Amino acid sequence: MSALIIDDIAVSRGAGPVIQGVSFRLEQGRVTALVGPNGAGKTSLLDGISGVAPISAGTIRIDGTPIEKLSRVARAKQGIVHIEQGRAVFPSLTVRENLSLTARTPAEIDAALARFPELEKRIDAPTALLSGGEQQMVVLARAFAARPRFLLIDEMSLGLAPVVFMRLLPIVSEIAEQGVGVLLVEQFTHLALGLAEEALVVASGQVSFQGPAATLREDASLLHRAYLGGAAA
Amino acid sequence: MLQGALAGLAAGGLYAVLAVCLTLMSRLVRVVNFSQAATGMFGGFVAVWLVTETGLPIWLGSVLGVLLAGVLSGVIGWIAATWLSEADTTTRSAMTVGPLLLLISLSFILFGNKPQPFASIISGPAFTVGGVVISQVTLVTVSLAIVVAVAVRILLTRTAIGTRLRALSERPTTAELLGIPSKPLSIAVWVVTGVISAIAIVVVAPTQSNDAISLAMLIVPAAAAALLGGFKRLDLAVVGGLVLGVLSGLVAQIDEVSLIRNFLPFLFIVVLLLWTQRKEVWDAAR
Repeated sequence: MSALIIDDIAVSRGAGPVIQGVSFRLEQGRVTALVGPNGAGKTSLLDGISGVAPISAGTIRIDGTPIEKLSRVARAKQGIVHIEQGRAVFPSLTVRENLSLTARTPAEIDAALARFPELEKRIDAPTALLSGGEQQMVVLARAFAARPRFLLIDEMSLGLAPVVFMRLLPIVSEIAEQGVGVLLVEQFTHLALGLAEEALVVASGQVSFQGPAATLREDASLLHRAYLGGAAA
Repeated sequence: MLQGALAGLAAGGLYAVLAVCLTLMSRLVRVVNFSQAATGMFGGFVAVWLVTETGLPIWLGSVLGVLLAGVLSGVIGWIAATWLSEADTTTRSAMTVGPLLLLISLSFILFGNKPQPFASIISGPAFTVGGVVISQVTLVTVSLAIVVAVAVRILLTRTAIGTRLRALSERPTTAELLGIPSKPLSIAVWVVTGVISAIAIVVVAPTQSNDAISLAMLIVPAAAAALLGGFKRLDLAVVGGLVLGVLSGLVAQIDEVSLIRNFLPFLFIVVLLLWTQRKEVWDAAR
């Protein structure tokens, strides 16, 4: 199993750095929850890893190979798949076309759809016509078909009914069980921590807690302190 | 009068081809390419120079000119993809005014400001219908417009590369995050549309006003035609080009209104804008 190793990275946007001195290790086959207050820099961290935003310091390595200078396309080819905030479907493309962007064969499309039977009857419908939950299923299925090594998921629950989100959450675990390292940014902290083995709390652009998710699940005051930037790793 | 209207079809076919290219550029690479006709004009002028000064056969000079137009268009596309990949459509479109002016100026410097002695690649009547002669140029340009529009539609809806292009046009960042290389694909779109535009211009130039300004400013009627389809629909872009060409031919036959021929594309644009914005205008008036 390889790992995505983030070492002392900084991400700047506009006036200055929004992420500074962040280091952690994302293992394949494990889910790491990335939580923190609004504006802490969680999305910027994901953007820095996938190449959406340039990093201004530090290194990102996969199996010892630095990737921080690679384009976002090259990073995707290294196995990093980033699911952006909101429902990142291509609206005029059908479900099948969305999946064909990452699936190499029709069998891979079928394998991705097997996790989402709801989509099979809408396979030739433009994704713009799907419900929010169905669109998020398309995004997850498309990511699964890409056979990622590391999957970065940003606020999957955004705009979804809780019942729909609860339907999607176990799929993330299943994807991780296939050997994918998942970094899950989620506003529903308790759900993310319930799913994850590891946890990372970011506050004011820096890591305020890093360790087993169970530790945070069981100690609400520690989680509270971490959100305020005061807990030790 | 009918003969005059149909004579305008040759120009209409050219407008339609350019409009299809403009629509394609707008949909796929988020740019209204004001230099679309200028690259074709410059390629055509180089073709004329190659034929008249170096003695190359017409077909070979034309092929080289068309290829040069494709390369020029590709270079502009490379600039847009390299430095303006995250810019909005307005900024990217404004950038193309630079190459438009540069190519016009360069053609003045290299070839002078007179019309060029284009030799006809295609000439003569194709067939006669009810006493009205349809020229080969008309047949070729109209066919080219239809073939290009149909081929592009098939490419976009039936092929893997078309699906990727549509994905890139809708969410470029998301597409890149899935490993779809935006830069080579978008440059390819620039090259292909540059080549298609140049072919149409080289075919029609011998029968039209073919000085640098006239050819480069074909972008105006082409934009008017593309506007009919909202820079989205290829079929309406073709229809717009042909209608505009026929109207120009018709107007040229009537002495009292022949002067408005030059303003017809602008009138077309104003009418289309008023029509498409009617709801907003009426709402504001209320």
